[in-house]
Amino acid sequence: MQEHESAILHCTGEAVFINDMPVSENLLIGHVIYSKHAHAKILEIDFSDAVKLKGVHSILSYKEIPGINQMGPIIHDELCMVENEVTSIGQAILLIAADSKEIAIEAEKLIEIKYEPLEAILSIESAIEKYNLLAPKRKIERGNLQKGFEDSAHIIEGTLKTGAQEHWYLETQICLCIPGEGNEIKAYSSTQHPSETQAIIAEVLGISSKDVEVEVKRIGGAFGGKETEANHIAAWCALLCNATKRPVKIHLFRDDDQIITGKRHRFLSKYKVGFNDEGIINAYSVELNSDAGSATDLSMAILERAMLHADNSYFIPNIKIIGRAYKTNMPSNVAMRGFGGPQAIAVIETAIDKIARYLKMDSAEIRYKNFYKIENNNISPYGQCIENNRLFILFDKLIKSSDYIKRREEINEFNKSNEFYKKGMAITPVKFGISFTTSFLNQAGALVNIYKDGTVLVNHGGTEMGQGLNTKILKITSKELGIKLVKIKVNATNTSKIPNTSATAASSGSDLNGMAVKNAIETIKSRLSEFVVDEFRKKYEGICSKKHNIKFENNFVYDIKIPERKISFNELISNAYLNQISLSSTGYYKTPNIGFDREKGQGKPFHYFAYGMAVSEVIVDTLTGYNKILRTDILHDAGDTLNKGIDKGQVIGGFIQGTGWVTTEDIKWDSDGHLLNHSPDTYKIPTIQDIPEDFRIELLEGYPNENTIRKSKAVGEPPLMLAFSVWLAIKDAISAVGNHEFEPDFSLPATNEVILLSIEKIRKLQKEPA
Amino acid sequence: MNNSVKFVLDDKIIELDFSRDLKYKPTTTVLNYLRDLSDHKGVKEGCAEGDCGACTVALGELDGNKISYKAVDSCLVFLPMIHGKQIITVENLKNKGELHPVQSAMVECFGSQCGYCTPGFIMSLFALYKNHNNPSKGIVEDALSGNLCRCTGYQFILYSALMACQNDGADHFSEKETQIVKLLKEINKDKKTISLITNNQCYFKPFNLDDALLLRKNYPDAILINGASDIALRQTKNNELLKDIIDLSAIDELKRFEENDDGYYFGSGLSLEALKNYSEKKLKPLYDILKVFGSLQIRNLATIGGNIGSASPIGDTLPVLIAYGAKVILQSAESRRDVSIEEYIKGYRKTDLRKDEIITSVFIPKLNEKSKIKTYKVSKRKDLDISTVSSAFRVSVENEIVKDICMAYGGMAEITKRAKTAETYLLKKKWSRTNIEVAMELIYNEFEPLSDARAESEFRRVAAKNLLMKFFNDLQINNGILKLV
Ligand SMILES: Cc1cc2nc3c(=O)[nH]c(=O)nc-3n(C[C@H](O)[C@H](O)[C@H](O)COP(=O)(O)OP(=O)(O)OC[C@H]3O[C@@H](n4cnc5c(N)ncnc54)[C@H](O)[C@@H]3O)c2cc1C
Ligand code: FES
Ligand code: FES
Repeated sequence: MQEHESAILHCTGEAVFINDMPVSENLLIGHVIYSKHAHAKILEIDFSDAVKLKGVHSILSYKEIPGINQMGPIIHDELCMVENEVTSIGQAILLIAADSKEIAIEAEKLIEIKYEPLEAILSIESAIEKYNLLAPKRKIERGNLQKGFEDSAHIIEGTLKTGAQEHWYLETQICLCIPGEGNEIKAYSSTQHPSETQAIIAEVLGISSKDVEVEVKRIGGAFGGKETEANHIAAWCALLCNATKRPVKIHLFRDDDQIITGKRHRFLSKYKVGFNDEGIINAYSVELNSDAGSATDLSMAILERAMLHADNSYFIPNIKIIGRAYKTNMPSNVAMRGFGGPQAIAVIETAIDKIARYLKMDSAEIRYKNFYKIENNNISPYGQCIENNRLFILFDKLIKSSDYIKRREEINEFNKSNEFYKKGMAITPVKFGISFTTSFLNQAGALVNIYKDGTVLVNHGGTEMGQGLNTKILKITSKELGIKLVKIKVNATNTSKIPNTSATAASSGSDLNGMAVKNAIETIKSRLSEFVVDEFRKKYEGICSKKHNIKFENNFVYDIKIPERKISFNELISNAYLNQISLSSTGYYKTPNIGFDREKGQGKPFHYFAYGMAVSEVIVDTLTGYNKILRTDILHDAGDTLNKGIDKGQVIGGFIQGTGWVTTEDIKWDSDGHLLNHSPDTYKIPTIQDIPEDFRIELLEGYPNENTIRKSKAVGEPPLMLAFSVWLAIKDAISAVGNHEFEPDFSLPATNEVILLSIEKIRKLQKEPA
Repeated sequence: MNNSVKFVLDDKIIELDFSRDLKYKPTTTVLNYLRDLSDHKGVKEGCAEGDCGACTVALGELDGNKISYKAVDSCLVFLPMIHGKQIITVENLKNKGELHPVQSAMVECFGSQCGYCTPGFIMSLFALYKNHNNPSKGIVEDALSGNLCRCTGYQFILYSALMACQNDGADHFSEKETQIVKLLKEINKDKKTISLITNNQCYFKPFNLDDALLLRKNYPDAILINGASDIALRQTKNNELLKDIIDLSAIDELKRFEENDDGYYFGSGLSLEALKNYSEKKLKPLYDILKVFGSLQIRNLATIGGNIGSASPIGDTLPVLIAYGAKVILQSAESRRDVSIEEYIKGYRKTDLRKDEIITSVFIPKLNEKSKIKTYKVSKRKDLDISTVSSAFRVSVENEIVKDICMAYGGMAEITKRAKTAETYLLKKKWSRTNIEVAMELIYNEFEPLSDARAESEFRRVAAKNLLMKFFNDLQINNGILKLV
């Protein structure tokens, strides 16, 4: 298996991250002074003493912004720097450039900012109460909901709170800006979206995009947290660089990063589900309410993806999905792996879980009965046909390989004979739509250069953040050109090479960029094939070789019909050069045949769906709420995988990140909106001891995906949602305390606190006379 | 006077003279020092508080004629603390262009994704490689729980560890060991107190107890540090200037361990990892709590003296020490006092320590056969987390009647506190479920814990009462004899 392209560099410490780059001695350190109030008027700012401190080179406020004071990515409603009023904690008020971080911190101590606190909306509940909508509500519906409920034998209603999640990339937000000639500026940014970073820097500086170059070599983890947030750090850094005309670096301190940047959106969802005695769902209505925070950012797109995943894997004839994003005085919430999908899937999975308990059936059975079918009942609420449905294959294989039925009995036995420890198990599916739901974003560019020595440099618009995109691009290039990996390099992503790219997000990195690279290579190959045909004609007698018969393989280029006609790749390249054949080409790709009408809530937003399923078994200590995943079996569909090691790594990493979200990653704020869990001291992501004791991960084999790069599937986000198997296994264990007779209180994350208090409640109910 | 710090890096002795080299101050962390060098940028900062392990390096320490290797979080280590030691970073692992076995295993097993956490993992793996042959999964997990990775989900890192550590730990460090031992011995010859005096800091590093006590007398306001895993955060997180410091970490007298008929004396400077290893066989309850104390990197730094010295209501060794009826030995240049832990802790981070005293050791008495002790820690995450609630219970039961009981709780009040009402209730009563259930309610009502970032008050109260049931359940009476199950 081809290893991760940077693995050796990672393991030797030689991999260069932005903070490791050698910079000239006159580098300044940028520091952000941010709002300490959720909502307040700024009465006075006094930095007269701070600016005099030796080693302080510049202190900027919004007044010094030469261009537009904006950094909202789509809707321009997010100031780059606060003017007269702060609308959340963490908004930039002043920027300092100093010789060192210590000096900047000294300077900060000398700054006085007077606020007049204003009423703030700090929870989604109060935002709902005030009906403080960010934008008009959205709706997707099908069938006749009212009749659907009327025809249902049973109805269950409820609300579900799903918590925020901090990205907790190991490399905190960072940008290094180097001034050039005149207006020119070069930014090394840890951004998932170099083109947008470029555009925003240009806007705040009041210069044009042609003068801004953004480069991304590698990112130390992103998970959506560097899709728009990175722009902010870059814009601030660029302002300081422009003001001082010296290189400036901003690298956020961990706590500042956690305080300033947005998180996964909190959702408060209300649902009602109607079903028959068999557990088949006839009607489902769900209201998804998200806490967007103080600005729009990508909240509407996130809400949209949530709505498009409200069905998860289930066919529901009568359905209504309402989405509302609320504006609050919290830092603007942002993209995070799954992009709304997880929040909506949690709701339908909860509904199904409750149906099972209500009907006293195994939830696996309810899930199975409600899956989208192959021939009929295969249209989603928004009208897209669920093609290449893998749900049944996954379910059948996984139920067998995980020994589900036998283990269910063992668990029941265990629970009968243990008072204080209870076990639980759940199987949950995911069906995840692949494509940006804003259809025009589904485009990508590439530039492939072949040099005279036969080596190849590939540029594309995607960013490498650990997901293995460049490893896949290398493989694609190597396969397409028929040359060895060592002859190929993937360049740092650079806006001067590839313009107008989309963010590396929505799991689409290799789908889009891989195709663009392939198309670039095809252009060059077409030229080379023509040239080869000509060469062969000169060299060999007999019938002419046909262009379409020319193959690139094993470092040779040959005619498949007459294999003796061959030339080494290197020789061909050097001949082509001498014969004035262009050895460089751009490539472009856009996803075909997709489109979604937001107003109607109908269309084909996705190029295809990725599927996965997981079974998890947990044990819960009912006296403390402590829990441990005993075993997880995952079967995931990555099409024909481009790299098994990389794809399995994405599945495991996504699953564990999801496990963190549903268990220990609790975020609290105090009554003034101050984040309480602003460092790893109190914000707890999983450690190596939190992974399943017995962890079995398989990729579904033998199911290629048509019309994608080398028949592969996107794999970045979907596995995160498999963590619901853990979440609901915990609930199953809690439920066992009351012999599955009571519906447990439950929310997300299911911390030991949530678990224990839920158990206590069941114990009390049990004691009450019936 | 000795005013420079010497250590081995890249197989050479490095000498830092703080009076001349103004680039560094005495409390510059090893992390910042390394990152400032052009060829040691592999080490990363992920949190500056010991919670992520991205900054992990290995320390080589003289152990007779050998070197022992320990992983530590370099973000918490002040430069003078590595005096006389070898410091090994990820850049040192490759040998003549060849990857170290832990590196090649990580490459082969897809152990890195974004790579930012990787150098830290590599160094933890390196220390594991040097210390264990064919480690069990449990040992690997323990060695790696101080390293956070947000990308990989750990499974492939686990595989890498199991794959790499199959041999006897031989590598190019073994080949160079004699050479490095020589260098370290050369540095360690000199036992004169190191005094680093700059314009706003005085940092003293004595090498024996007498010198330390004298310094303590002359600088009564200096901060004592041992592992500095608590104190360092005041600088790395709160940007506080630590003015005067007496660093006790190089005093051998504070690292002794003694057992006699009455009990055990543990030097205050013993690392918690050393203590954990000592206690595994003989003091299981202490071992149990140390197993879930911080991470290996933290336990390699943190000391028992420091844990008691912090007097934190969530100090994890305190409940069990109270349950044992342990004492601290307080020494000044003039006198010695033995004070029970309960009396020593005066309030929230307040102790009975006088300005001329140092904790030299902790005494844990041997209990009679009938006394049973057990410890519990409730935290949001099992490993590398601070207690939400912790407890230690001691009970002795004769003929089913409670003769003696102690229930010490951490995280329930501003200090580690005993549940006195419940203790009084249970004393002389039957050790029965009914009585335990009554006592649980008493515990629930006895405390008014805080709600904070970790948990709400209600959770703490429920967990606290339930821990008694856990204890009850973990004990069984067989033929009138109480047994731990
Ligand atoms: C990431 C992380 C995780 C942690 N996890 C835990 C945990 O799980 N449980 C827990 O209880 N704590 C934990 N801690 C806190 C800390 O590590 C412990 O309290 C540790 O035992 C402190 O020991 P030290 O030697 O490093 O102390 P230092 O920081 O050196 O000193 C701590 C205090 O003790 C005093 N002191 C030190 N030595 C002496 C002495 N000989 N005589 C008198 N006073 C002395 C110091 O003056 C200071 O006030 C954690 C800390 C970190 C950074
Ligand atoms: S930087 Fe996180 S442990 Fe040191
Ligand atoms: S590989 Fe990215 S954090 Fe571990």
